[in-house]
Amino acid sequence: MAGIDLTATSPRTTLDVVGRSPASRRRLGRAALYVALGVIAVVMVVPFVWMVLTSLKTPADIAASPPTFLPTEWAWSNYADALAAAPFLTYARNSLVIAVSHTTINLLVASMAGYALARLRFRGSELVFLGFVAALMIPTYTKIIPEFLIVRFMPLFGGNDILGQGGTGWLDTWWALIVPGAVTPFAVFLFRQFYLDLPVELEEAARLDGVSELGIWARIMTPLVKPAFITVALLTFESSWNNFLWPLLVTRTDSMRVIQVGLSVFRTENDTQWAFLMAGTTLATLPMVVLFLLGQKYFVRGFANAGIK
Amino acid sequence: MLMVAPAFLHALIWIGIPVIAAFVLSFTNYDVLTQPRFNGIQNYLDALTDPVFRRGMLNTLVYAFFTVPVAMGIALLIALMLDTQLRARAFFRTAVFIPQVTATIAVALVWLWIYDPRNGLLNAVLGFFGVPAQNWLSSTTWAMPSVIAVGIWQGIGLKMLIYLAALQSLPKDVYEAASVDGASKTRQFFSITLPLLKPATFFVFVTSVISAFQAFDLIYILTDGGPANTTTMMTYEIYKSAFREFRVGYACAQSIILFVFLLLLTLANRRLNGGDSGRH
Repeated sequence: MAGIDLTATSPRTTLDVVGRSPASRRRLGRAALYVALGVIAVVMVVPFVWMVLTSLKTPADIAASPPTFLPTEWAWSNYADALAAAPFLTYARNSLVIAVSHTTINLLVASMAGYALARLRFRGSELVFLGFVAALMIPTYTKIIPEFLIVRFMPLFGGNDILGQGGTGWLDTWWALIVPGAVTPFAVFLFRQFYLDLPVELEEAARLDGVSELGIWARIMTPLVKPAFITVALLTFESSWNNFLWPLLVTRTDSMRVIQVGLSVFRTENDTQWAFLMAGTTLATLPMVVLFLLGQKYFVRGFANAGIK
Repeated sequence: MLMVAPAFLHALIWIGIPVIAAFVLSFTNYDVLTQPRFNGIQNYLDALTDPVFRRGMLNTLVYAFFTVPVAMGIALLIALMLDTQLRARAFFRTAVFIPQVTATIAVALVWLWIYDPRNGLLNAVLGFFGVPAQNWLSSTTWAMPSVIAVGIWQGIGLKMLIYLAALQSLPKDVYEAASVDGASKTRQFFSITLPLLKPATFFVFVTSVISAFQAFDLIYILTDGGPANTTTMMTYEIYKSAFREFRVGYACAQSIILFVFLLLLTLANRRLNGGDSGRH
């Protein structure tokens, strides 16, 4: 992290011949750098600040043109009113259930697969690995229509007969919300990378001691790749919580809706009541921001590792 | 082998079979209610001659151009600025990255409000500088730039972060040698830094192109593809064909076209990078 660096600071460029002393030039350059970064930071942060401020404004403040930056009157009751206007808590609970399920299943299934692909040789292992890499390349939109059809025509569910006809299958059920997105090829790939780096002696020693392959994975190797688990957990949770199109397609009733779909429905159904909508948006955003601040290191590593290797 | 089985079966059912099914259905006329009927390459011909889908392809390319290469340039610039002995570097890094972990729906709703023609923040700020108010999202001129701006805003953090991590892992001695040889900073940047950043560039390019081509949530909230199809995307047309018009076979053909676009771009990038990144 501390990799403090190399290139950019020392201003010994040829441009230095402009007459000013190096020290004052350095200070000027530094000031310019801070101004530029300051502007960027403002542009990045202001929309979030605006979201929170809007969520605390009265209808009169919302309608003001031009708007005032701060609310003239802090309407804290907006949050309670927003929760009364739409079942945001139900939406958030649904999202939470799905995100926790996805995270748990993905950690278990993908880490096993990643371990096997990294450390065990079996017939066709190369081919299976290539399959996962190919799966990484498939755009969501190329698979989403048949996925929807599979869910819709799932045999023996939701009133469907054995051929998948007659009912609604998995539509509007937890099955549809949880199962198709539970395991991601990206997680398999990431776990494989982490398990590859472990020393081979450990597993050989364990194997000599008669520990089963499952035992080696669970008790010996896995405790050594904890960062991989945290990274995959955070990324899975985040993408699951933020997912929109799939839950939009497979849910019909209010009680099954997830938070992102709930927000978009609230917007169309309530003639865009901005204060309430921004209150809901704040509630939907907050968990991710907190999670990110807590696990920043792992988020960064998760993305960046893949980029350098 | 048993340990791979659950993940493998899952991928087979929810990725492998769907892709094959999409390919097969793309040659049929299918509306979910009646049996699919084979109709050859008719769907592809329809898609490639449909002015709205063509507009969607063009818009997707324009959107990808600005949110990938252009945004990558900006991201690299920010990364270079942050790659210094800077106080508050952690703060900047966090500020730039937070939109990335926020749901696109939430981001789009906030920007929808910022772009609001009457009470929006953007017109208020511009008005302060004497710039006249605009109907950002309902103007055929401004809708696409407005959407692109949000796309860049949201995606810049990840690109910047990967570049920053790559910059910090560059070998120091090369720069010392270059300085001794009298190479200027600019020269060092183009002859050392950029080539060494190739693997990072390849990775950022591929992942960003994949997400740019799949932009959907933004369009769904901000413009619904309008005004006059000026912001519709391939993904949005696929969604409309499949789930609003129930032309499933046709939508599958459109989705295969999207896939081919992505495949070609990835391969072209690999070729351009001289296959170099493949070996890392």
